Amino acid sequence: MRYALYLGCTIQSEQFGYEASVRETLPRLGIELEDMEGVSCCGFPALSSVSKVGWHYLSARNLAIAEDMGLAVLPLCNGCHLSFIETKHFLEKDPELKNIINMNLEKEGLNYRGDIRIVHLLEALHDEVGTQKISKKVVKPLGGIKLASHPGCHAIRPSDLQKVDDAENPQKLDDLIRALGAETFDYPEKIDCCGSQLAVTSGRVTLRIAGEKLQAVKSYGFDGLVTTCPFCFKMYDGRQRAIKGALKDASLDLPVFYYTQLLGLALGSDPKSLGLQMNQSPVGDLVERILEG
Amino acid sequence: MSSDINEIEVRFISRMLTRLVGEMNATVCEQCGKCSSACPVSKEIEGFNPRQLIAKVALGKIDELLRGDAIWTCTACLKCKERCPEDISPYDVILILRNLAYRAGYSYPAGYDDFIKGVKESGFISKPQAVRIRDDGKISRGDLGLPEVSGPGDLALFKVVIQGIIKAGREI
Amino acid sequence: MMDKPVIVIGGGVAGIQASLDLADRGLKVHLVEKSPSIGGVMAQLDKTFPTMDCSICILAPKMIECFRHPNITIHTLSQVKEVTGKEGNFDVKVLKEPRSVDASKCTGCGLCSEKCPTKVSDDWQKGLSERKAIYILFPQAVPLIANIDREHCLYFQKGICQVCSKVCPAGAIDYEQQPEEISLNVSSIIVATGFQELNPSELGEYGYGRYKDVITSMEFERLVCASGPTGGHLNRPSDGKHADRIAFVQCVGSRTHKKGYPYCSSVCCMYATKEAVLIKEHDPGSEVTIFYIDLKVFGQGFQQFVDRAKQHWGVEYVRGKPGEIRRNPLTKDLAIWYEDTMTGNVYEKEMDLVVLCTTMIARPGNRELAGVLGLKLDEWGFFKSKDPVRSPIETDVPGVFVCGCCHGPRDIPESVAEASATAACAAEVSRRCAS
Repeated sequence: MRYALYLGCTIQSEQFGYEASVRETLPRLGIELEDMEGVSCCGFPALSSVSKVGWHYLSARNLAIAEDMGLAVLPLCNGCHLSFIETKHFLEKDPELKNIINMNLEKEGLNYRGDIRIVHLLEALHDEVGTQKISKKVVKPLGGIKLASHPGCHAIRPSDLQKVDDAENPQKLDDLIRALGAETFDYPEKIDCCGSQLAVTSGRVTLRIAGEKLQAVKSYGFDGLVTTCPFCFKMYDGRQRAIKGALKDASLDLPVFYYTQLLGLALGSDPKSLGLQMNQSPVGDLVERILEG
Repeated sequence: MSSDINEIEVRFISRMLTRLVGEMNATVCEQCGKCSSACPVSKEIEGFNPRQLIAKVALGKIDELLRGDAIWTCTACLKCKERCPEDISPYDVILILRNLAYRAGYSYPAGYDDFIKGVKESGFISKPQAVRIRDDGKISRGDLGLPEVSGPGDLALFKVVIQGIIKAGREI
Repeated sequence: MMDKPVIVIGGGVAGIQASLDLADRGLKVHLVEKSPSIGGVMAQLDKTFPTMDCSICILAPKMIECFRHPNITIHTLSQVKEVTGKEGNFDVKVLKEPRSVDASKCTGCGLCSEKCPTKVSDDWQKGLSERKAIYILFPQAVPLIANIDREHCLYFQKGICQVCSKVCPAGAIDYEQQPEEISLNVSSIIVATGFQELNPSELGEYGYGRYKDVITSMEFERLVCASGPTGGHLNRPSDGKHADRIAFVQCVGSRTHKKGYPYCSSVCCMYATKEAVLIKEHDPGSEVTIFYIDLKVFGQGFQQFVDRAKQHWGVEYVRGKPGEIRRNPLTKDLAIWYEDTMTGNVYEKEMDLVVLCTTMIARPGNRELAGVLGLKLDEWGFFKSKDPVRSPIETDVPGVFVCGCCHGPRDIPESVAEASATAACAAEVSRRCAS
């Protein structure tokens, strides 16, 4: 399995711990990742709210680059993933728009055909590699740790365009968590939004939305939260201190991980190669527990 | 046929808005309240209610919405779109209204200017930075052995194309 | 010259009414029913609206009358497989599945069921309890004769057991029974095959299938019915705790262009009110809320029924469809998120039990039957009548009539009225073709 690895903006610039963990773990599962040259932002949410056409232009631009590579594209960010899916859908339905976009892409020597296959990380790991294969490669099972699955809104909705997982009852991330030897179970807030996009307008409300979910997760007895989206991660992990302040809840300390970081630990990788030093939430103890076995 | 994206944009948005208001959607809304009760923002902010927003669209109160804050308060969680029994999607309506508000010159959150500036300058909304690590100190891409970021090859050309797209009388 | 018989396909309340009307006029009737007993869905209900009559109590006398009437022959476990000919002269082939019990000997004592070792999920009790592989469909079944579910019977599957034949005091068990084909010649055909309930699992936001305490209205009817799996006690399925806070969600799978059907299911507003009143009658202290978009209560006495539910019984009506139903993994309690669209406020409320009022949908068997009879189906699988305004119970095939829910959602009074109408039409055909 070979994919064109699309990183987007946030992962490259600051969430590169996620990138490191992906580069470290996926090849161990037989997935080859090829870097894309000349890419740009996917346009979501930067342009989507002010210029839909501009947004689709940016996404189509990146898809065109992947098409030229002759590979399926693997966007690591949920938002980029949805952006690509929606762009592909809209340009299919609107040939006039596709045409105009191609006329402009031509200036950079690019052309968007529309036959690109877009694969989410959950699909690559769960459907194409498979939980059985992953389990077999685990050398440090995460025994007994309870992890809350947070697939993120843009991995599962809208179900008319996304086929990554069931929109109301997603289980793929849960299966992947279990494949590492950890425990997980359903909880009411599982498919709730992290609130990131609202941060552009109202920081305080976003912190409340995100914080209430963290509090709920903690109340069910989970040891940590797992996600695959840099926006969600940044909110729950990077802004956890601000959340604690906004909710006046000093004891809200919840470890937050990218799935591939835990995957790496379970496969026996060095924690430093997984960017774990960059997690702002208190992951230290859990990581130690896992390493000691 | 001209490659004027601006013209296409106006037609594209108008087409979508007509579809949403006139042909099918907003007027088909039964005001059932599934969207508003699923919406995470409506639970926190009193002024934000996707059901009422659709009612306003159906009643033609578009200008009021374009001038207001409500359309910028959606967090794009897509639960409304997923659950609406009539396939209306307040989220998609909001996105179109945002585009129109921007074009009409009404106020919008400053954060979007930062995003656009970033995209124009480097192709991305933000440039690689040294990031704080949990214990102490900072770390950059190179420290983790990660390759350099590859942006648009001809940044000047890219900038021109993007600028052409985000015209609409806005100087950024 | 003897008038030819009429065949009525479907033994629910509509089929029963049509059969009785025809038989009372002196015409012979073949009442063909797919399941082991006549009665249909009405036999599964606890009470009927708006009179709050005990459903089986008003239906059973008619069922027994059918059984006793000299002009009616009931064929259970039977289906119409082939029809040729035309109005006044239809040749019908009916396939009768074997009961594996000799109807002339069985007294309906029930000892066979008692001793049978094999348990099967009871569809008639909507999966809330179990029955045996040899069973009588329900206590008031007509005919009151046991039948063996060969797919689950140990003898038919593995060649062992046979306990039923050992204990039957009347020696009525007959494993050798074979399917039987019956040929009938009739003057007209009445289709009264009824409806089924939508399975709301696809509407994942409600949690049906994942949360045991989210149930459909038919499941609720069985829970609250004295002959049901809990003896009429409103105990929530997950842990048996008594349900004090109950929510009804209207329009589940109806009035929608997504994951359901665009039509209104006609009876849900009324039966939700009925069920809410039932709960309040049992336990006035319970909190009952009906979440609706519109209240469709235009039948005779219906609006007054709802007004009484609100004012006398204290049933709460909230205009707002819940967006989400959640379950706390620790307490197992359900929580409903809804907006009261009258005030614009969004609330979260805890519930013990949530009843989804799901749409009436067409039975899948309609497709085959339509092919056999030469009838058209509408886009949702219901039989199409000749004209919805001018000839609502005639079809495009002269001599074939439809009544009841097989051609769209409607309530019991309407189904009964239509049944009598089709009986009159069938009698007219008979008179016309005899002369």
